[in-house]
Amino acid sequence: MKRLMWLVPVVVAAWLLPYGLGGYAIHVVDVAIIFAILAVGLGLTMGVAGQINLAQVAFFGVGAYTVAILTTQAGLGFWTASVLALLAAVVFGVLVGIPALRMQSHYLGIVTLGLALAFTNWVTNAHIAGRAEGISDIPVPPMFGIDLSSGYLFYYVELIVFAVALAFALLVTRSPLGRRLRAMRDDDLAAGSLGAEIPLLRMTAFVLSGLYGGLAGILYAGLIRFVAPESFNIANMFLLLAMVIIGGRSSILGCVVGAVALALVREALLDASGFAQLGYGLVVVLVVVFAPKGLAGLPEQIRSLLRGRGSGSRAQLGPFQPYDTAPRATEEDVLQIRDVTMRFKGLVALDDVSLTVPAGQIRGIVGPNGSGKTTLFNVVSGFYSPSQGSVLLRGREVTGLAPYRLAQRRVARTFQNLRLFEDLSVRENLLLGLDRTRTWWIWRYPSVPWKVLGYERALRRRVEDLIGRFGLAEVADAEPRSLPYGIQRRIELARAMAMSPTLLLLDEPAAGLNGEEVRQLAEIVRSIRDSGVTVIIIEHNMGLVMSLCDQVTVLSNGKVIADGRPAEVAVHPDVVAAYLGDSMSAPTEATAEAAAEEAAR
Amino acid sequence: MQVFLQTLIGGVTFGAVYALVAMGFSIVYRTMGLVNFAHGSVVMIGAYAASTFYMASKLPFAVAIIVAIAVTALIGLVIERFLRPLENKDFTLMLIGTIGFGAVLEAGAVLVWGATGHAVPSPVATGPIDVAGIRIPTYSLMVIAVAAAATGLLALFLQRTKRGAAMQAVAMDHQAATAVGIHVGRSNAMAFAIGAGLAALAGSLIGPMLYVNPTMGGTLGIKGFAAAMLGGFGSMPGAIVGGLVFGLLDSFAAGNFQEYSELVTFLVFAVIVMVRPTGIFGEATVNRA
Amino acid sequence: MRFTSFSIAAAALMALAACAPPGQSQSSESNATGPIKIANVNAQSGQLSSLGQWEHKGVKLAIDEANKAGGVNGRQIQLDLFDSQGDPTIGTNVARKISSEGYVAMLGTAESAVTLAMAPILKDAKIPNITSGQSPKLAELKSPFLFLNAPTSVTFDETLAKYLVDDKGLKNIALISNNGAYGAGEHDAFLASLKSRNVTPSADEVVTPDQKDFNANLAKIREQDPEVLFIGAEEVQSGLIAKQARELGLKAVFAGGAPLGTDVYATTAGLENAEGTVVSSPYLSNDASEEIKAFAAKYKAAYNEDARMHVAKAYDGASILIEALKQTNGEGGQKLADAIRGVKRAGLLGNYNYDANGVGIHETKIGLVKDGKVVPETAS
Repeated sequence: MKRLMWLVPVVVAAWLLPYGLGGYAIHVVDVAIIFAILAVGLGLTMGVAGQINLAQVAFFGVGAYTVAILTTQAGLGFWTASVLALLAAVVFGVLVGIPALRMQSHYLGIVTLGLALAFTNWVTNAHIAGRAEGISDIPVPPMFGIDLSSGYLFYYVELIVFAVALAFALLVTRSPLGRRLRAMRDDDLAAGSLGAEIPLLRMTAFVLSGLYGGLAGILYAGLIRFVAPESFNIANMFLLLAMVIIGGRSSILGCVVGAVALALVREALLDASGFAQLGYGLVVVLVVVFAPKGLAGLPEQIRSLLRGRGSGSRAQLGPFQPYDTAPRATEEDVLQIRDVTMRFKGLVALDDVSLTVPAGQIRGIVGPNGSGKTTLFNVVSGFYSPSQGSVLLRGREVTGLAPYRLAQRRVARTFQNLRLFEDLSVRENLLLGLDRTRTWWIWRYPSVPWKVLGYERALRRRVEDLIGRFGLAEVADAEPRSLPYGIQRRIELARAMAMSPTLLLLDEPAAGLNGEEVRQLAEIVRSIRDSGVTVIIIEHNMGLVMSLCDQVTVLSNGKVIADGRPAEVAVHPDVVAAYLGDSMSAPTEATAEAAAEEAAR
Repeated sequence: MQVFLQTLIGGVTFGAVYALVAMGFSIVYRTMGLVNFAHGSVVMIGAYAASTFYMASKLPFAVAIIVAIAVTALIGLVIERFLRPLENKDFTLMLIGTIGFGAVLEAGAVLVWGATGHAVPSPVATGPIDVAGIRIPTYSLMVIAVAAAATGLLALFLQRTKRGAAMQAVAMDHQAATAVGIHVGRSNAMAFAIGAGLAALAGSLIGPMLYVNPTMGGTLGIKGFAAAMLGGFGSMPGAIVGGLVFGLLDSFAAGNFQEYSELVTFLVFAVIVMVRPTGIFGEATVNRA
Repeated sequence: MRFTSFSIAAAALMALAACAPPGQSQSSESNATGPIKIANVNAQSGQLSSLGQWEHKGVKLAIDEANKAGGVNGRQIQLDLFDSQGDPTIGTNVARKISSEGYVAMLGTAESAVTLAMAPILKDAKIPNITSGQSPKLAELKSPFLFLNAPTSVTFDETLAKYLVDDKGLKNIALISNNGAYGAGEHDAFLASLKSRNVTPSADEVVTPDQKDFNANLAKIREQDPEVLFIGAEEVQSGLIAKQARELGLKAVFAGGAPLGTDVYATTAGLENAEGTVVSSPYLSNDASEEIKAFAAKYKAAYNEDARMHVAKAYDGASILIEALKQTNGEGGQKLADAIRGVKRAGLLGNYNYDANGVGIHETKIGLVKDGKVVPETAS
C-alpha cells in the first residue's frame, strides 16, 4: 500500500487538471491521451515483444472506423459499436500479425507497413467507409445523462480508460508474460528452448497491439466524431513511432511520456510547421544516436556517466548445495535416436546416427570439431528437423517437434556459446526457466489479475531457493553480460535446471572454465544425475569426460564410431585414428550450420 | 492482348526505376547492415539536383545527371558520417533514425526549393515508337537502357576492381575483411556514396516521367524497399528482379483492380513474402550473429 | 487509516467534479475595440501545401488592402494562419482552437475533406467559414455557417457536359479519375451530368491519387477510341495522365475542371499534349477581363509570381468577408453569417449570390488551352 502512495498526488493532479485549462487546451490533452494509449500499445508490441509493427495506426483506424460505420450506417449504439470495434481491431491485429510467424525485423516492418497502406486504400474507396471524405455525424457517446460532447467531461472518461489500460500494460510487463515477451525479443531461440511458445507469443503481441489500437480508435471516434483516411496515414504512424522511441520503447511509462510530450510539442509548433519538421527530424536523429533508450533511459545513462567506468568489486559464486538423492529410476530408456540423418544443402552433418540413453545416466558425446555433436543436440532439442530417422523420448515419438514443445516435455539444454538474455537480470533469466505456464494461461490477465500477481509472487519465492542452491545470491540482480564467464556458465546451468527437466543436454559446459570451476561442475552434474535427471554432455575436456560419464559415444564425420564405457572407448583404434587423423579435412560443422541458419532465416 | 502488352511496357519502365532504388537500398544494406529508410528522400534530392541543373543551366540531360550523381554522392558521404553510429545497431533504432533523417531532408528540400515542385520537360524529343499498335515511349527505352547500363557498370565494379572486391569482402565478413587490411570505414562510405549515386540516377530519370516535389520520395522509397525485399534483401540481381516484379505488379493491379490497386499490390506482396520470406534470391546479409 | 483518508479525498474529488464540472465560461461577445481576428486555415506543409500557400497569398492580399484602406470601420483586421497539414483531425483541432480564441470568421481550407471535418464544430461555435473546397458534399451539409467561394463540382461538370454533349455533339466519352475527395467528386458529378443526357461513358477508369503509371488504364480506354477523355484529378496527376495518353496515341480531347486550366497541368503534360484541352472553370485566365488583369498585376507586384484561380477565389472570399464585416461592424456569429449571405458582389470568379446551401457562384465558363494558357471559348 505504501509503495502506491506516490499515486495519490498524481491522481489528484490528473483529476483537477481540467479546472486549470481552457476549452482548446483540454482538447489538446484529450488528443494527447489517445496518442498515449496508442503508444502504450506500440511499446508493448515493439519495445517489449520486439515485433516491428508499423500497422499500429491502422489498428487505430479499424477501431475508429468500425465505431463510425456501425453507429452511422447500422444504427447501433455507441457502446455496442465500441465492443464490436474492439473485437474488429483485435481480429485485424491477428491477421496483420500472421506474417510475424514467418519473418521478423525489417521484413516484418515493411509488410506491416504495406498492410497499413492497404487499409488506408480500402477506406478511401469503400462507400460504406465514406470514401475520401470520411464519415461525420458520429453520435455523442451517451453516459447516464452526462454530456460527453464537452471536452472536459470526455477527459474523465479518457482518464479512466487510460488508467486501466496503463495498469494492464504494467501488469503485463511485470509478470511472467512480459518477461517471456522480452526474452523472445532478445533471443527467440533460447526463449523457445525454455518452453516459450514463440508463435503464440508473437500473436499475443499483435493481439495486445490491436487491443490498444482499437481502444484508442474508439475514444477517437467519441472525441472527434469524424473519421477520414488521412488521419490514419503513414505520417501519423511515424509520429507515433517517434513518440515511442523518444520516450524509451521498452519502458511503458517512457512511451506515455514520449507520447504526451510529442503531442504537446506538435501542437506548440503547429504554426511553424516548415521549420518544425526540420527540428523534429533532427531531434529524432539525435535521440537515436545519443540516447538510444529514450527519455526513460536518460537517468540510467547519466548515472553511469557519473559513476565512470569499472566498478571494481568482482562478484563471487557461492557454493553449490547438492540436490536430494532420488531413488534409482526404472530401467526405461529416456532418449532413443534411431537412424537420424541430417543434411544441409548436400552436406551430411549426421549420417545414420543411432543411440540410446537409459534413465539416470551421464552420457558423454565426444568427437573432433565438426563431427556433428552440436547438430545432434539441435535435432534432439527440436532446433532442426532431421532429414531422416526419428527421435523418441521415453518411448514417445518427438521427431521434428518445435523446441518449445520439447521444453514442455522437460528437455532442457545449454548452449555452446551461452545464450543468456542480456537485457534481463540473472533472477529474471532463472524465473523464465521456472515459469511453466502455457501461453493460453494469459486469459487470467484480464479476468483475474490478482491471481497473476499471486503466481508471480510464488515464482519469486521459489527462485530464491534456486539462487541459493546454485550460489548465485551475490549476482542475482546483475545483468549477465557484466559477469565473468564462469558465472555465466553456472547461470545457464541453473536456468536449465529451473525447468526441472528429466533430460538435460549440456553443450561444452566446461569450455572456458578454470580447473577449480571444472571440478565444481563435475560435482554439480553428478548431483543433478543423482536427483534423477538424465544428462547428456558434449565436451572436449577428456579428463572431465573420463571421470564424469557413465558411457561415452564418439562421433566422427557425422557417424557413431564407438560407444561404451569411457575406458574402453579411449583405446578404441577408430577413435584414436579420428582424433589424430584427418579431422582437419572433414567438413566443418560450423559451415554447415551457418548454411542451415541462412536457409532457416 | 494490346492492353496486356501496353501494361507490360508501363510496368517495366517503372520497374526499372524501382530496381535502381532497390539496388541503392541493397548495396548499403549488404555492405554496412544499415536499413536506410531515408533512401527515398535521397532519391528526391537527386531528382531535384538533376532537374535544377538541367533546367537552370541548360546543360545536356546526361551531363546534368552526372553532375547530380556526383552532388548526391557527396551528400551521401555527409549522411553516412551522420548515420555512422547507427550502423549494425538495433533495427528499430535504425528505422526511426533514418526516417528522422528522411524528414530532415524533406524539410530541407521545402526550404531550398519550395513546396510546389516543378515539371521537368522530356529530354527526348522524338515521339513514341509504334510496334503493331503498342506504343513504346522513347524515354522509357532510354530509362530501361540507362538502368541496365548502370547495373552492368556496378557489377563490373564489384567484381573486377580492387575497391569493389574489397566491398564484397566487407559485405561477406566484417571482421575477416578488417583482418586482411581492408579499410571498412572507407568501404562503407563508398557503399553509401554509390547508394546515393544510384538514388540520384533513379531520381533524375524519373523526373521527366513525373513531377519533382519534396514528397515524391515517400512512395518511391516504400516501393523500392518492398522491391528489394521481394528480390532478396542485399542481393543485387534480386534488386533488379524485385524492382521489375513490383513494377509489373503495380501496373497490372492498376489495370485490373482500379482504385483498389494499392490494396491488391500490398496484399499480394505480403503473401509472396510470407511464402518466401528471404525473397527470390535469398538474403545476402552482413553477418549479424 | 491511510486508506480512509485516501477514500475521503477521492470522494471529495468526486463531489467536486459532480457539483461543478469544469468548463470554460463562454466569453463569446467579442470586444468592440482592438483588431478583428480572422483565421486562415490551410495546408502549409505536406503534399497539398502548394495549394494552401496560394490560398494564403490571395487572402493576405485582400486583407492587407483592406487594412491599408482603413480596415473595417476603423478597426484593423488581424489575419492569423493555421496549418491544417491537409489532415482532417488536425482540422478539427484547429476548429476548436479558433473557436476558443475569439476568431470571428475563418477562411479556407482548400481541401473539402478538412472543411467537412471542421464544419460541425464551427457551426456549433457560430463561426462563419468561407471555404475554397468545391465538393458537392459541402453544399449538402446545408450548414448556415459554411460558404463556398467557388461553384461545386456539379456546376463545373454540368457546364462541361453541356458544352461537350449538347453543343459539340460528342457522345463517345471516357472517364479517368482518382478516388481522392476531389477526383471522386468530379467523377460522380460528371457521370450524373452525362446520365441526364442519356450518355453512357465508353470507359470509366479509377486510379489512386498516388498512382504514376497509367499505361494499363489508358490502354483500356484506347480500345474504345473515345472522342473525349474526361480527367478528374489534381493538377500534377492530370498532367501525367494527359502526357501518357498522348504517348499511347490517344487522340481524344481532354476535358476537365479547374486543374486542367493551370500552368502546372500544362507543363507536366507538355505544352503540345495539353493543347486543345477543354476546361470548365469560373476563372479562365489572368486576362479574361479588366478587373482580373488589374488583380493579376497587383498580385504579381506583391508576390512576383503569376496569379491563378486558387489565388483569385481566396481573394474573392476574403473580400466578401470584409464587406460583410463592414455591415456588422466587426461583429461575428449569426449576424455575420446573414451578412455574408446577403453580399452581392461581382468578383473575379463571377457574380456572387449566395443560396441557402452556401454556394455563391452558379456558373462556370468554358475555355480551351492554347500554348499552355486558357483562352475563353466563344463559339457557343
